[in-house]
Amino acid sequence: MSAILIVIVSLPFAIAVATYFLPVALSKVVTVVSGVTVFGLSVALIPTVVHTQVAAGSLLRADALSLVFLVAVGFLYGATAIFAGGYLHLEQGPAGNRYGRRFYAGLNLFCWAMAVTPLVNGLALLWVAIEITTVVSALLVALDDTEGSTEAAWKYVLLASLGLGIALLATIIMYYAGTTVFGGAYNLSYAKLLVGAHHFPPDVVRLAYVLAVLGFGTKMGLVPVHTWLPDAHSEAPTPVSALLSGSLLAVSFYAILRYFQIAERTLGPTFPRDILLVFGIASLLLAALYLLKQRDLKRLLAYSSVEHMGILAIGTSFGAPVAITGVLLHVLAHAAAKGTAFFGAGSVVRKFGTKDMTRIRGGIGALPWSGPMLVAAILALSALPPFGIFRSEFLIVSGGLSNSRDWVAAIFLVLVTVAFFGLSWYTTQTMLTPDAQSSVDGEGGAVIVKKGEPSISIVVSMAIGLVALTILGVHIPSQLSQLLDHATSELASPRK
Amino acid sequence: MTGTPSTYAGVADVVAVLVLLTEFAMLRAPLLRSQVRLYAFQSFVVTVLAIVVAATHHIPELYALAAFSLALKVILVPGLVLRLLRDADTDLAGSSTLGVASMILIAIAVSAFGFFTVGSLQVHSNALPTSALAIAAAVVLVAFVLIILRSDVVSQAIGFFSLENGVSVASLVVASGLPLVVDVAFLFDLLVAVVVFGVIMRVHHGRGKTLSTEELDRLRG
Amino acid sequence: MGTARTALRADGLYMNVKFVEVRGLAATVIAPQVVQALQVLTILCGAPLVSGIIAHMEGRLQGRRGPRILQPYYDLIKLFRKENLVTEESSWVFLAGPVIAFGCYLIVPLLIPVLTTFGLPLGYMGDILGGGFILALAGFAVALAGTESGAPYAQLGASRAMTFGALIEPTILFVVFTVALITSTDLPYALAATVRSSASEIVRPGHVLAALAFFLVVLVDTGRIPVETHSGTLEFGMIDEGRTLEHSGPALALLKWGSAMKQLILYTILINVFVAPWGLAASGDVGAVLLAILALLGKAVVVGLVFALIDNSFSKLRLFKITEFIAAAFLLAGLGVLVFFAGGG
Repeated sequence: MSAILIVIVSLPFAIAVATYFLPVALSKVVTVVSGVTVFGLSVALIPTVVHTQVAAGSLLRADALSLVFLVAVGFLYGATAIFAGGYLHLEQGPAGNRYGRRFYAGLNLFCWAMAVTPLVNGLALLWVAIEITTVVSALLVALDDTEGSTEAAWKYVLLASLGLGIALLATIIMYYAGTTVFGGAYNLSYAKLLVGAHHFPPDVVRLAYVLAVLGFGTKMGLVPVHTWLPDAHSEAPTPVSALLSGSLLAVSFYAILRYFQIAERTLGPTFPRDILLVFGIASLLLAALYLLKQRDLKRLLAYSSVEHMGILAIGTSFGAPVAITGVLLHVLAHAAAKGTAFFGAGSVVRKFGTKDMTRIRGGIGALPWSGPMLVAAILALSALPPFGIFRSEFLIVSGGLSNSRDWVAAIFLVLVTVAFFGLSWYTTQTMLTPDAQSSVDGEGGAVIVKKGEPSISIVVSMAIGLVALTILGVHIPSQLSQLLDHATSELASPRK
Repeated sequence: MTGTPSTYAGVADVVAVLVLLTEFAMLRAPLLRSQVRLYAFQSFVVTVLAIVVAATHHIPELYALAAFSLALKVILVPGLVLRLLRDADTDLAGSSTLGVASMILIAIAVSAFGFFTVGSLQVHSNALPTSALAIAAAVVLVAFVLIILRSDVVSQAIGFFSLENGVSVASLVVASGLPLVVDVAFLFDLLVAVVVFGVIMRVHHGRGKTLSTEELDRLRG
Repeated sequence: MGTARTALRADGLYMNVKFVEVRGLAATVIAPQVVQALQVLTILCGAPLVSGIIAHMEGRLQGRRGPRILQPYYDLIKLFRKENLVTEESSWVFLAGPVIAFGCYLIVPLLIPVLTTFGLPLGYMGDILGGGFILALAGFAVALAGTESGAPYAQLGASRAMTFGALIEPTILFVVFTVALITSTDLPYALAATVRSSASEIVRPGHVLAALAFFLVVLVDTGRIPVETHSGTLEFGMIDEGRTLEHSGPALALLKWGSAMKQLILYTILINVFVAPWGLAASGDVGAVLLAILALLGKAVVVGLVFALIDNSFSKLRLFKITEFIAAAFLLAGLGVLVFFAGGG
């Protein structure tokens, strides 16, 4: 079992190095293989982790909580690899070749870092892993070398690094809290921290926790430190956007959850939950409002990501086990749904040549397969049954009601509905209208296109995503459900 | 009121205050070159502090760390940024949104906030006096002010690097026993982050032929 | 052993001096009131000397021969022999200003540790804040007299001096706060004693920062580079010098003497309270007091040399940049207080 951990940690890195030297066509295939393998391996770990933790040396460790996130990362790794194969349109010649090599090396490296993050054992290594994801993804955002992407990359790297600087301070302060119990030198492994947490000085842990939420929340996209998110997610190449929204935000949330675990044991449940509640409501509110007025398709999806991160935070703040299970399921479902939505957006952009929604009309007509699937994905994001997000949000709301957070649950539902309104408005405008011949108000009018799919790989990747969503919504496999329950128990009830 | 600190504590405190004063000086420095040199000086002071802690508390790993951070933060990073400035050939003076005196007043208020917040924590460390932690928090906050109020790429990047300096001082106070592996990992990460900053600065400069961030408002809404 | 009484007349004061032979050494103890008067006299007579030495050294640093060391005395004598010329617009304030200022500068040495480590009888009339108020009164009187004259440059200098004086007040206050926080009183004697007590007191950051801040305050208040050009008459840049442009004769002599005294007073506070409070007389011994006088003048000369070096190394700041300089001084003083509160400063 620990061998699996080592393979997961080393395979994508090796592939990343390899793809830098291989021809692009080969890289496509190799990346898909790597992605599917990582996903398969993480699923294979599920039966073991449900009963006990898996460790490899003192540096790697997988428990139920980390496996949930690993599965999400692995899934998107594979699906995005398939999508990218069909999406990338490289020019012939050395420039295109260079772009392709950088793209694939970056993609694999990025997925490697995101896969490593849930598997490392200790707060310090966690910080290092997330810093690596920031660094790699910043380079990927800047890959397209347009004005917009340069601006987005600068904002992203500056704000994310600032956030991680604060998170580093949080790590150090938490380390100090540990020294009061463990003495001078110890490593910040989770097991040790969780055991000692009851005796940590509360004020210090409070400060460390708030700083961690602020710092890692910057990477997660919590309002008010989310400002880089819409820019970065919309200007990055679409496969990268899918990974950013679907996996990176989730992995940053994982970091916050680790601090949450420790803080809950030291401070009791109230303070940590309240902090998350504040940030969650702010994120949900702002995202819902911004969703009502968008022009850029990918930016629309980016704000939807902010909304869902807010939902995750609110769900965690409810505290009831039902809500926590909903949160973890939401991580998985959001990865699938957001990934599929971005894949569809990529297909639309490929077809219509623009991200400007005022110029896109008649999507369903032009894209017979990916069009309807994009509509389904966006509706799934708005919590339409039978998809997974409906189930997870339902669990969250019922958790809130059972914990007598009625007002919050009500606000939650209202804001989610507002977001739904925004999303569906733009979806109908772009996808469900008749073809372009009838008019519009974009510059130069709508883009007129021929009917037909840009690539079969895109369709396949979207289909995979929707199937996963349906499974999560209709009937969760029992192993997965056990995993979720186990992870919930780790998070919800502090062992005294 | 607290009693008089020991001589060692007093000297260490003065060195830490020097780090904070350098941060303020960066707020004021009009030329980007002088900002970079101030950052090199600040990193040097932090290295000196690390060596002092290593010597008085017999922590051999800190020497290695100090050497590494000297090479990285005093020599390599300022060198890279200065080279970028030389290649840029434009915009040698940074721009800022407020006047210098107002910025300093804001920074004083912000660092007072940091002092009182951290000071109320009652952190006890035997490596450095507790006021050093408050000073480190103030450095971090003033670095934020620097990043917010300065509107050119190099100042913002230097602001971020000096924030890492503040965190380093904090780690000297409370975490001097952190395993060396972890410390080296932190520093390595900083190096990589610096490289990324450098790349993106170059791209930004290459695109717009300017180092100012005032044009970066295309993406809105 | 024998005792003899000798009465001495000096400036109309009777002094009782006791000669006591102790272990073969002749030691005389001066009464505290006399010492206090000596403090004023030292400042009064020593101020032009210190100015002269500084001007001479500055000249030397610039590669010229420099003026005579006793030149300020000759200047004062020359001015006292001339007559007062008064502009038509001015009233009695024009002539009263210099006199009031001079009087203030005579009072302040009573309050600060000039020669002794212990407080003298009238020394408790005012603490460091009181001394600050009296110095401010002196500055105000001079500025008022300058404005009164109706001449443009004098008014310009006076208004600028008042503005920058007001801006430097918060710094002075914070310096006083630091002193008060360290010693729980704001008597300057107490801080001097604390600083002398151990090495750890010297290096505590609150003290270092307050000393640096006060150094910058002295720089601003005595009108030195980078705030103002001390020599020469560049009217557009004049702040302190400009106030006295219209006075002449004995009034100008009083003003010049007064500003030299102010300089020496500020140096004294800087040295004897913050930086180097050693060499002060611990008792009323004649020998100790004489030593204290010499030490004071010597230390003042050293400080003046530092200022002369700064004069020759930096250029004058443009007028609107002086606020940056003052902000920097305030920063140091404010940090001194804050570090203290952060714990252990």
